[in-house]
Amino acid sequence: MSGRSGSVSSSTTFRDAPRFDPWRHRLGVATAAATLVLIFVGGLVTSTGSGLSVPDWPLSYGMLMPPMVGGVFYEHSHRMVASLVGFLTLVLAVWTARAEARAGVRRLAWAALAAVVAQGVLGGLTVIYLLPTPVSVAHACLAQTFFCITIALAYSTSREWLAPPAKTIDASGVRGAALAAAVVVYVQLAIGAVMRHIGAGLAIPDFPLSFGRVVPPVATAPVLVHFAHRVGALAVLLAVSVFFLRARRAGDPRFVRLAAALLGLVVFQIALGAATVLTTKAVTPTTLHVATGAAILGGCWLATLRSFRLLRPAPSVAEAPVAQPVPQS
Amino acid sequence: MSIRSSLAVIALVGLPLLACGGGAKEEAAPPPAPAASAAAPAASAGGGATTGAPSISGKISFEGTAPAPEKIKTSADPKCQAMHPQGLERQTVDASGGGLKDVLVYVKSGVSGSYPVPTEPVLLDQKGCMYHPHIITVQAGQPLKIRNSDDTLHNIHPRPTTNPEFNIGQPRQGMESTKTFEKPEVPIPVGCDVHPWMRSYIAVLNHPFFAVTKEDGTYEIKGLPAGEYEIEAWHEKLKTQTQKVTVKDGEKAKADFSYKS
Repeated sequence: MSGRSGSVSSSTTFRDAPRFDPWRHRLGVATAAATLVLIFVGGLVTSTGSGLSVPDWPLSYGMLMPPMVGGVFYEHSHRMVASLVGFLTLVLAVWTARAEARAGVRRLAWAALAAVVAQGVLGGLTVIYLLPTPVSVAHACLAQTFFCITIALAYSTSREWLAPPAKTIDASGVRGAALAAAVVVYVQLAIGAVMRHIGAGLAIPDFPLSFGRVVPPVATAPVLVHFAHRVGALAVLLAVSVFFLRARRAGDPRFVRLAAALLGLVVFQIALGAATVLTTKAVTPTTLHVATGAAILGGCWLATLRSFRLLRPAPSVAEAPVAQPVPQS
Repeated sequence: MSIRSSLAVIALVGLPLLACGGGAKEEAAPPPAPAASAAAPAASAGGGATTGAPSISGKISFEGTAPAPEKIKTSADPKCQAMHPQGLERQTVDASGGGLKDVLVYVKSGVSGSYPVPTEPVLLDQKGCMYHPHIITVQAGQPLKIRNSDDTLHNIHPRPTTNPEFNIGQPRQGMESTKTFEKPEVPIPVGCDVHPWMRSYIAVLNHPFFAVTKEDGTYEIKGLPAGEYEIEAWHEKLKTQTQKVTVKDGEKAKADFSYKS
């Protein structure tokens, strides 16, 4: 709590004890939702091959609003949605800095602002330097990281975070499963970004087999990256399934529903991945594949945050109460 | 929701959109259009840059059935669509004139010495949302003038592997840019990311002994000194063929090529 708490008692700029602010929470949710839309539109840019249809940055053909024709429509739409997300993040950061009592949340809001600025610069660099793979991959990964930050900001200002019910014991290992799923999904998205930006999306042209085999007989870099993404899909399916099973064993509906939705999304995502290959990267399945991947990451990350907020770890064997011998009468 | 709250939401969502849609920034006036005659760059499609009697000539023939013309969807840009009310088609393998059109024929090896680099630019025009010519030839270091003759924007994005890649925009009609490729490279694909159907190829050579076949498939390479040469024919779809040719003083050598479907 701020040391200034003695002088002002009702101002919204006062860093008082954490309290629920519905509008700031809604702004956080809106920022996260807009970020998911931004990831979808960014996916459209790559899927339509429009990444260089606007050769300059930060302006577009020297204009704020170029004619929205051909590939310009996708690239400039991406810039417009990015501007909106940047603006929402700026408002959220300033608002949080002025009204938030928790230093950690204030730092998170500034981190979000720094991330969105860095993301804009990476987007500009990728245009100016003609889509260099490391920059494009960094742009894709930072997008997912930023999405997670916005989710954390939105959740940290929710009623559930601010006034959580009494913590229950995590006897089934829900916390660890949720965290593991989030990490596995993030790594999988990073591999997907590399695959996409080195142009290896069709390096293995068949599905579900790879060149007619379980393990591809070719070991070029594009094939290896593509195959790693397929193996990663199985790892994600396994991780989310474990999370679902543990949530079900725990019988906590707050996690069962989320885990079930995530499992459904993963199955849908694998189907989209197959469609991407079998349609030779048609725009709709390819872009939905990118956005659904982000949605799965967001869901796993939210599940992780919730599980650490609502559950406490089960006591270890050493900490468990030892049965006392009953005295003989 | 109170009116004040509603206004806050509208402001949050609306302001950045207004910022994005604030209208075009005033730009520098485009350069004047080049003069139609004297200032026009040397044409290169259909002939090399040399003069004199033909040293090597020939015809590229095509046997078989050419693939059907590719129908191009131009609806992504209404201005391109309006330029082609009957629709736009691209015939990659064009043998309708009795021979194979748009084949680059050049001396691949055997040329010795150095040749002066022309200072006259070669023109690559964007007209009707297509590139003209389709195959463009320049000497290394020779200026390449790129013009936008369309009333719509284009970006010009060559994808070389030896020379530096660039991507420039020409948002207004009449704009021109000049670029040079310093190293020989055959071919360099050129595309417009705004209009993905636009495609052209640049051949950069360190000598002037090259030609692009005309509608009837014929070509002429002039000014080549006597000697033994390796001649290569390159077609964007049918790829390459080579043959050895001996050029004697005062005699005209012949080198025909034949592609099959």
